[in-house]
Amino acid sequence: MKARIIEKDDVLKIVDLLREKYDVIAPFLITGRDTYFDTVTDSNRKDIKLHLPNPFYPPKRYVFPHIERLMRIKSNNNNIDIIVESDVKPLAIFGIRSCDLAGIGHLDRFYLGNAYRDCYYEARRKKLFLVNMVCTEVGVDITDDCFCLCTDTGPAAKELFDLQLMDLGKVYLVVAGTQLGEEFLSNPMFKHATEKDIELRRQILSEVRKSFKDTTSWFSATVRYISRGSVLEETWEEIGRRCLECGGCTYVCPACTCFTVTDRKIGDGEIERMRIWDSCALGGFTRMAGGFNPRKAVHDRRNRRFYRKLAHYFIQRELSMACVGCGRCAAVCHGDVGMPSVVEMIRRATAKLDAK
Amino acid sequence: MNEVENPYLPKIAILDRVVDEIKDVRTFYWHFEDQNEQLKFKNFLPGQFAQISVFGIGEFPASLPPSPTEEETFFTIRTVGSCTDAFHKMKAGEKFAVRGPYGNGFKMDSYAGKNLIFVAGGIGLIPLRSCIIYALENRQKYERIQIFYGSRTPAELMYTNDLKKWGQSAGIECYLTVDRATDGWKGNVGVVGSLFKKPNVQMAIKNSIAFVCGPPVMFRFVIKDLLEMGFNEEDIVSTLERYMKCGIGKCGHCCIGSAYVCVDGPVFTYKQIKKLGEDI
Repeated sequence: MKARIIEKDDVLKIVDLLREKYDVIAPFLITGRDTYFDTVTDSNRKDIKLHLPNPFYPPKRYVFPHIERLMRIKSNNNNIDIIVESDVKPLAIFGIRSCDLAGIGHLDRFYLGNAYRDCYYEARRKKLFLVNMVCTEVGVDITDDCFCLCTDTGPAAKELFDLQLMDLGKVYLVVAGTQLGEEFLSNPMFKHATEKDIELRRQILSEVRKSFKDTTSWFSATVRYISRGSVLEETWEEIGRRCLECGGCTYVCPACTCFTVTDRKIGDGEIERMRIWDSCALGGFTRMAGGFNPRKAVHDRRNRRFYRKLAHYFIQRELSMACVGCGRCAAVCHGDVGMPSVVEMIRRATAKLDAK
Repeated sequence: MNEVENPYLPKIAILDRVVDEIKDVRTFYWHFEDQNEQLKFKNFLPGQFAQISVFGIGEFPASLPPSPTEEETFFTIRTVGSCTDAFHKMKAGEKFAVRGPYGNGFKMDSYAGKNLIFVAGGIGLIPLRSCIIYALENRQKYERIQIFYGSRTPAELMYTNDLKKWGQSAGIECYLTVDRATDGWKGNVGVVGSLFKKPNVQMAIKNSIAFVCGPPVMFRFVIKDLLEMGFNEEDIVSTLERYMKCGIGKCGHCCIGSAYVCVDGPVFTYKQIKKLGEDI
């Protein structure tokens, strides 16, 4: 392994180096659990934090923006011009967590891997440089909601990063995952890592893995129950009763892909066609013109959400569950029907049935 | 971005003329401004659909009622919401935009050597018209062709010119019915299923494919009748309608069970529909 080390005081030099070529996004702390990703500027550079709870608003939006213009349409005397503009700048995300990285991997396979390629996603993705930060500080990086161990997406990502950083106590260990990352490591500020550093990485990760909360998520049983359709209607009803239909779980999810498209007027004879994140938790998600809605009840919508995320059919299609174990849905859900709770509810109720 | 194909980019189309079909339903004849787009589009399959853009209002999915063997391209649209209302207000010569064709379509080739049974209710004839015309153009490929079509009143029968032709042609059996007889209607009165057991009807059941499209209530009853008569679930095919934004399997709105209706459908066998587990 061509691992390098960098002194703790020098780690932000990576950001400086990146800023020569990229707009750089990094995590910041307001206070306590309140954290966010933002663009690095000269004035906020010193406030970048590498150890902090993962921001609720996921960095997914830098490849799949919350609101994005698809095209502008100019009409003039029955003459219609459709204008597609691309102003995608190279972007680096410094300090993206392993779960969010797995989320981008899922989006890659979904938006670029099926019959049609999403060119808007592709344009952003191609210019993205990812610096992964391994979660090592229990209680800070890793909260009670985290369950990446169960989704096999963390705490240290195995792929998709250009560079990976890990805190070894006195220094950061830096590993390249791509050719681009490799080239980056040729900078003299990176020193060669020793066998000892690698051994320390192994030890720390081993300890970190043991410190996840006991009540982790039992996906395999639930994937099986959902895939074969043996989850009881009453379990879905219970999940539905607890859902407040706020859509929060979908907006914080690094693996959710749904969007709606809407036209809006922006000037004289000019409109823009926008795409905006949408949520299957909301009642209007499947309502057709004329009012017919094939999914009426809340529990029906929840059923579809978890089926879409966990059914074997889709796991085969996208090569991963549409869950990366970040725990955001668990943290934001007012009704405690985030992914880990739902997995647990389904497993318990259905296992009981199996035992009979 | 233009060098990569943009699947969301609609192509400009020009409305040629508009024909009233029935109340709230009109047929819009159109062509692409760019002749190459027109040629590309004409490779569509019966049962596929397209996304129509009315700029400033939005985009909506619509079935393709013409057969690819026909010269003209057209849509038949009912006013049900803001987009279709705006589309209905358009006049000949005006421009809009179209993307597509999308979806799997009916596997017309694989039905060669079989009897084709078309069962339609109301505007359910729109997607089936494409298959019927296609089958008639390729008449020698198929055995018997039977059409069962019902509407609420005689005034709500669609594509009356086609119906007249089908009623008079040799090699097609076309049976019509209405729920309520008005305007001196002399034909059958009753739901579509009531036609199946009429003494003058010899319904082909063995070696047959049944195409069923219509309102949910009609669908449920017709399916029940067909199954009782001995049809296999996999020999009954239909098209599903869902709210859609993209048509290319990305936006997520039409995802039911393990299918995205836009790419895995909209044509499904009844066996598949049952498994998807949602109302038709």
